[in-house]
Amino acid sequence: MLRTRLQPLHPIAWWCWAGALAAAASRTTNLLLLGLIVAVCAWVVAARRGNSPWARSFGALLRLGVFVIVIRVVVQILFGDRTAGTTLFSLPEIPLPSWAAGVTIGGPVTVQALLGAASQGLRLAAILACFGAANSLASSFRLLRCVPAGLYEVAVAVTVAITFTPQVVLSIARVRDARRLRGRATSGLRGWRGLAVPVLESALERSVALAASMDARGFGRRVTSSGRRRATAVVTLGGLVGLGIGLFEVLDSGGSSGIGLAVVGLGGALVVAGLVAGSHGPRSRYRPDRWRAAEWLVLAAGLAAAAGVVVTGHTDPNALSQPLYPLGLPALPPVALAGILLAALPSVIAPALVPMRATLHGALA
Amino acid sequence: MTAGARQRGVGLDRLGGLAIGLASLIGAVAFLWPFFIHAHGSQNQAHAGDAPWIIAALLPLLLVAVLGEFNSGGIDAKGVAMLGVLASCGAALRLPSGGAAGFEPVFFLLFPAGYVLGRHFGFLLGALTLFASALVTGGVGPWLPFQMMAAAWMGYGAGCLPRLQGRLELGMLAAYAAAACLAYGLLLDLWFWPFGTGTSTTLSFQPGAGVAHNLVRFLLFHFSTALGFDLPRAALNAGLILVAGRPVLAALRRASHRAAFGAPVEIAPHPPG
Amino acid sequence: MITFDRVTVTYPDATAPALENVSLIIEEGQLALVIGATGAGKSTLLRCVNGLVPHFSGGRLDGAVTIDGRSTEQYRPRDLADVVGYVGQDPDASFVADTVEDELAYAMENLGVDPATMRRRVEDVLDTLNLHALRQRAITSLSGGQRQRVAIGAALTAAPRALVLDEPTSSLDPVSAEEVLASLARLVHDQGATILVAEHRLERIVHFADVVVALGAGPAEVRLGPPTEIFATSELAPPVVRLARQAGWTPVPLSVRDARRHAPGLRQRLATAKRPAPTVTRGDRIARVKSLSVSYGPIPALAEVTIDLHAGEVVAVMGRNGAGKSTLLHHLVGLRRARRSAVEVLGREPAALSASEAIRLVGLVPQDPGSLLCAETVEAECRSGDHDSGLPAGTTRAMLESLVAGISPGSHPKDLSEGERLAVALALVLAPEPPLLLLDEPTRGLDYRAKERLARHLRALAGRGHCVVVATHDVELVTEVADRVVVLADGEMITDGPARSVVCHSAGLASQVARILAPAEWLTVEEVAAALGEPLVGERSSR
Repeated sequence: MLRTRLQPLHPIAWWCWAGALAAAASRTTNLLLLGLIVAVCAWVVAARRGNSPWARSFGALLRLGVFVIVIRVVVQILFGDRTAGTTLFSLPEIPLPSWAAGVTIGGPVTVQALLGAASQGLRLAAILACFGAANSLASSFRLLRCVPAGLYEVAVAVTVAITFTPQVVLSIARVRDARRLRGRATSGLRGWRGLAVPVLESALERSVALAASMDARGFGRRVTSSGRRRATAVVTLGGLVGLGIGLFEVLDSGGSSGIGLAVVGLGGALVVAGLVAGSHGPRSRYRPDRWRAAEWLVLAAGLAAAAGVVVTGHTDPNALSQPLYPLGLPALPPVALAGILLAALPSVIAPALVPMRATLHGALA
Repeated sequence: MTAGARQRGVGLDRLGGLAIGLASLIGAVAFLWPFFIHAHGSQNQAHAGDAPWIIAALLPLLLVAVLGEFNSGGIDAKGVAMLGVLASCGAALRLPSGGAAGFEPVFFLLFPAGYVLGRHFGFLLGALTLFASALVTGGVGPWLPFQMMAAAWMGYGAGCLPRLQGRLELGMLAAYAAAACLAYGLLLDLWFWPFGTGTSTTLSFQPGAGVAHNLVRFLLFHFSTALGFDLPRAALNAGLILVAGRPVLAALRRASHRAAFGAPVEIAPHPPG
Repeated sequence: MITFDRVTVTYPDATAPALENVSLIIEEGQLALVIGATGAGKSTLLRCVNGLVPHFSGGRLDGAVTIDGRSTEQYRPRDLADVVGYVGQDPDASFVADTVEDELAYAMENLGVDPATMRRRVEDVLDTLNLHALRQRAITSLSGGQRQRVAIGAALTAAPRALVLDEPTSSLDPVSAEEVLASLARLVHDQGATILVAEHRLERIVHFADVVVALGAGPAEVRLGPPTEIFATSELAPPVVRLARQAGWTPVPLSVRDARRHAPGLRQRLATAKRPAPTVTRGDRIARVKSLSVSYGPIPALAEVTIDLHAGEVVAVMGRNGAGKSTLLHHLVGLRRARRSAVEVLGREPAALSASEAIRLVGLVPQDPGSLLCAETVEAECRSGDHDSGLPAGTTRAMLESLVAGISPGSHPKDLSEGERLAVALALVLAPEPPLLLLDEPTRGLDYRAKERLARHLRALAGRGHCVVVATHDVELVTEVADRVVVLADGEMITDGPARSVVCHSAGLASQVARILAPAEWLTVEEVAAALGEPLVGERSSR
């Protein structure tokens, strides 16, 4: 089937790809691998971003990632544990009272401690980079159109919210003008009060008109039989119970329980099943996003990265962490490397976006 | 004479309420996981294994279950429209600052809305405002489900406040706003704590070391890093409610009345002939 | 097709019914026009058709409303969506999607139409409403007329048998209004749709209508009949009908073309009549705009506009939507400031003054007068107006009383009618007696009576020495009120001349009377009556 020019990649495919990359990043503290993951994200974003307003979020999340690394390193310097190793410098120790549960301020700072902190920070930064990539590449509107039937009304509320936000921004400007026309100041806390209330009132008025228009166009025609409702509620409850048990298992085993992960997965599947089979009605979808070959390939590329890291974790676990004792360069496990490089494929597989004319968020941009 | 069905906005049936209670309980444990995790019995004692990532994936599932329950409980057109519009106002409030330095006046709207329109509405509004503002600013991150859950709880709490009059009402709302903003900051910090301190500092959590021990460490971390965000946020929101709360409450009440939530509908056809 | 059987509607918390004992039948394939003064219940009537009253608004409905055999007793609005399409007063508040195509498909998605039919119907509606070039555009980037057509299209894709529209052309300029009305006419003539429209500006739509529903002053006066019959005696009538009644033409013509067939006799009588002399004398210059150039990014909004404004005159600024009228007014009042200061009022620059000083110099009533009103009662509004202008207590209230009597001080501004809201905003702006008064599209949503009242007040203000500038595309208001007309197009000034010559010599800007009596230069029915020495037919006693 030919894909038309106008149809970008399914947003869930982008999020799954980014999620798989994030999962890969979460299993390693190898500086080189993490850096490579960030680079892959940046590459794909640069290639397939388009110029929609949320395309700039990658840079913002990258900057946030840097900020996280800085915090982590600073906390390590100030509050570090006495890790053995080569001391770089020493901060004066400030004694804390005995109830401080072993917290120490200052003390010697070792290279190992700094490197360890930096690699843990970089891990979180790489995960943020994956999220940033997903934000930049996947359209929020199309994502909201993909939700299962059980979340439809909530998705409409969110769509209304993001469609309406630029109008609120314009309304704020209009109210500020009106205040000046009345001869009132427009700054300060007083100005705030005069600004917030008229904007809120006009927004609320419009909400009633919006509700009438939605009602008049058939919103809410679905009727769920009570039997079906009870069945889906039971499934959801079952899923929640599963999640709870899985969580308990994970916490009980200190975070490394395969059973716990499996039960959580099962619970999650039940919850999603409850949603998909939820209120059934005559709703149809106009031009739904199709899941085609390109989507499968992108998904596979992301899973390749995750698989590469997981396999390396079994065969050569030391290669996934930053070697501290003795200090050395991080290893380059070939399987993980190949997997992560494969994850850069979407830069060519995914269809290039046609630039959007006259975008929605003109007031925000 | 036909009495028509009333449009209630947002509602929940008994099974839905049960689901939400259960999900909130699990969510609370998910927030507090560093206190509950047991020590890992393998070589690397300090690791918490995959717990942070599993929980980061678990909370969205909880949220999805909760939102699905509200959805099946029935949100009609008025509820959807009002939720969407109020969420967009909250998102627009967040735009200029982008959440930087704690200047998030977004709660200024959430608490009066939850108070006037009910706790279920407040719960949904809290979650959806954070979601919408994340979508609008393009900042969907791993913190978002935690933010949504925390804000939803805050909105629910606002709806549980007793109904008072006059200045007492404003004072109560402002006090609740300050307390809830601090609580929100605490909850978000709980999320950030394992990431910000890792496993090799004296501020990090220690699996299996007991609640009191970890609590002291956490509080020291919280007060040394995040109060700079929490105090301005609490002060700003409480201050805004004191200054502008009265007309905001009036506008919300008027809108709720105008939307005729629950207004009786009567149709009386003439008898034939 | 649409049947009302002794319908009485009472809203919750209302003391009196909004509609009382209304019975009417609208046949299939008719275009029915609903007319009535503001507050007469037009919106209520329209919302009864698709069940929004009483299911959405609450309240009590006695009697029965039936559409295509379905009664609103058993069917709620969502169940009637495939039979009745509803387009509300504010289309901007009714969009749920970001692009035009998704918005059009929304109604069909709710009805569960299969995808192939959805694609076909979307294409059909895009063609009917001439929107195919805009299909992927974001709705917020469209002009007002385009948005209105998208709102109509969104209701049409459900393939309803009947379409209900509440004031579809009120905020549109004449060209966009023509496009919308042409689409509606096409629907009626080519596709046999039943259309029910409520409108204030009757000039453009009267000759399309097959039947007219006239809601009178009291809730119990409802008349239904063909247009010629209703307009022979109706109080609310477009200028062509009033001219016909003045000149005694029967049957009453509804369009300029029909009226011109009767016109030669009247033109002959007027050729010898004396034109009334203008009574306004121009005073000193109080404001000057010199070579004002404004651009928003790369788009020029105003280009080298130069205007002098004098005391005692009423200037109308006309032009298409987007021609720069609002921008000009915003710069005159000091809301915006050009790079090179080019605006001067009584020797001072408004943008450089503080807000409280500026309102004593220039006042602006914006496009949405309700945006100036932020208190909870009219009384509080007046008091805050006195406070803001530093005036003795009661000044604003007195000004409001002189503009319109009978507004209860305890009512909430949002509950007032359009005309009353405009009056309150006008009182607030006029209280500090600024020598220059600006109004931006004041006639939106006003019925003929309120427009007439506004015109009288503006002329009185000019008589007292103020200078009044009105930015509008309502030609009828311009003919009643303006001495001078400035025409803007794409930011450039095209014409600046006496109202009579500009209006009569322009094809697009001529009033109905001017078009009927062309080439003789007559602007309004009042002028014609005065020239013939006759009293005005249908003179309203309640002023």
